[in-house]
Amino acid sequence: MSLDLVNASPAFILGIPLLFAFLTPLADRISKELRDAVFMIGLLLTVLFVAVMSYEVFTAEGWAYVFGAEETGEITRFSFFRIMFVADGFAALATITVAITALGAGIYSFAFMEGQSGMEKFYTLFLLTLAGVNGMILTADLFNLFVWFEVTSIASCGLVAFINYKGKSVEAALKYMFISVIGGLFLLLSIGLLYGEYGILNYFAIAESVNGGVVDRVALSIILVVLAMKASSVPMHMWAPDVYTESPGAVTPFIAITSLGSLFVLFRILFVVFRYSVSTAALGGLLIILGLLSMFVGVSMALKQSDVKRLIAYLSVSQIGYMLLAVGVGFSTLENGDYATFGALALEGGFFHMINDGVYKALLFLSAAAIVYSTGTRNLNKLGGLAHRMPYTTMFFLIGGLSIAGIPPLSGFSSKLLIYKSIYLYHPILAIIALVVSIITFALIGKVFYNAFLGPDLGLSKGEVPTTMLLAMGILTAVVVVFSLFPNYVVAEIVVPAVEALGVTA
Amino acid sequence: MNSLFYALPFVMVAVLIIMGLYTVLFKRNLIKMIMGVAIIQNGVNLFLVSLAYREGYVAPIWTSAPDVDMVLPTPHALTLTSIVIGVATTALMLSFVIMLKKHYGTTDSHETRRCKE
Repeated sequence: MSLDLVNASPAFILGIPLLFAFLTPLADRISKELRDAVFMIGLLLTVLFVAVMSYEVFTAEGWAYVFGAEETGEITRFSFFRIMFVADGFAALATITVAITALGAGIYSFAFMEGQSGMEKFYTLFLLTLAGVNGMILTADLFNLFVWFEVTSIASCGLVAFINYKGKSVEAALKYMFISVIGGLFLLLSIGLLYGEYGILNYFAIAESVNGGVVDRVALSIILVVLAMKASSVPMHMWAPDVYTESPGAVTPFIAITSLGSLFVLFRILFVVFRYSVSTAALGGLLIILGLLSMFVGVSMALKQSDVKRLIAYLSVSQIGYMLLAVGVGFSTLENGDYATFGALALEGGFFHMINDGVYKALLFLSAAAIVYSTGTRNLNKLGGLAHRMPYTTMFFLIGGLSIAGIPPLSGFSSKLLIYKSIYLYHPILAIIALVVSIITFALIGKVFYNAFLGPDLGLSKGEVPTTMLLAMGILTAVVVVFSLFPNYVVAEIVVPAVEALGVTA
Repeated sequence: MNSLFYALPFVMVAVLIIMGLYTVLFKRNLIKMIMGVAIIQNGVNLFLVSLAYREGYVAPIWTSAPDVDMVLPTPHALTLTSIVIGVATTALMLSFVIMLKKHYGTTDSHETRRCKE
């Protein structure tokens, strides 16, 4: 049997970063340039395999990769006892989001982290986090999910505390660690509950026999709370601002993408495992409430911040709310006739917003990090006039900011428009709240832009940031611009397969 | 009586998890909080092992096994993995506390809330 690279691409998406994570410390023994090159090759190869998998999913159809199967591509009754990776439209959407952000953050960290000691360990942690998030997204096995959840937690906590001569980053990392570890243990508890009842760990096998009894409901609630907590949805959001603010600027988007990854996993579990056994209207309503809370509390907390990274962190919490809201509306319509009228549209809007949000949030965090890099302060009251010396960063921030505020024609507008259209049909008041939050977001972006970039040159900035950092932000900006110019194409080619993968009506 | 006997491990699991949560939520010392996390870890591990047990079944070792049913092997594998992950997380958290003590000079969780300032 020859090795089928396309069929095995989900395994390579994990294998490549795992291998290169431990090659970088070895390469560091030889030279720093080789270490950087090895890290970059690992990152690019991962992106390449994500592209291979997504291309196959979009042009042909999705498949399940079963580890240790005799025949590739064939699902037998033994497949459900092995570890299974799912390569479908949803996995493609999620891994593309992660890959774009990882590429931006990776290129950015060369110049940003220059001069720090122990960089080979930084790259190891970076690639391990990448493998962990992709593993969480691709796996169709509950215990495997727990393992990747913990890999992500440990590696990303290491990244948060990487600049450990600052006490605050260690404090944020410890807080994140408590949240992740206790969350992970309760995830394991609920996995134990499901295994004790059904004797199997595969999503699809559990979905066939799940009956919605008390044990299932307890397990579902625990999974929902844990993953929503990792996704920084509002009642469980308290860790997010500290962690996003205190982590090194280059990896902040990457920490944010682990949150988004948890949200992807939550949606997959809800849609694949539990949709036949619970009342989708009730569960969808719960997601809608979580979404409204996240949107509103996130944006109101952002109003009073004077720290630029903390402000963007709260905006990011508020953006998570849009996805929960849209997917909640889509989920609640699954079992009735509304799915065809607006449920599928809501899912399209929610999923399109996830990929948009991953990219423009990364752009915003990176341009905020560029401000810190160049001026040494995050305080908006002290900043001013940066546009004179940092024209490119100003442009990148403006594009990211207008996109997060949903200003046409940028990508955030396209996905928010889909969300408004569909949730208005569910209940008009939801669309009104979403619009109000969007307007406040615009006001906040205006405040940051005015305070940090406009006005007379205060001489705070050391000048424009290094070229590689500009390149990283440029790549993300290019993606935002492409998404803005061709929203129809992106929705049809990338988002609709994801909706079809999850939202199949029985 | 018999059913109570089989429920005992699960009662113990509940006691351990609640004890652990209490420690994490109400103790101020960071090291004690990490001990609480470790207690929850042990509770969850005990839960997985008790799930696998079936009365009268033998250990799942195929070599020269008698022809009777075996206890579930998967939860044991899960527990081993979970123990290894638990060691890693505990070690990482303790090392964070060491660094925090160096920077802040305290391990009191009420005094290590400086991110908001």
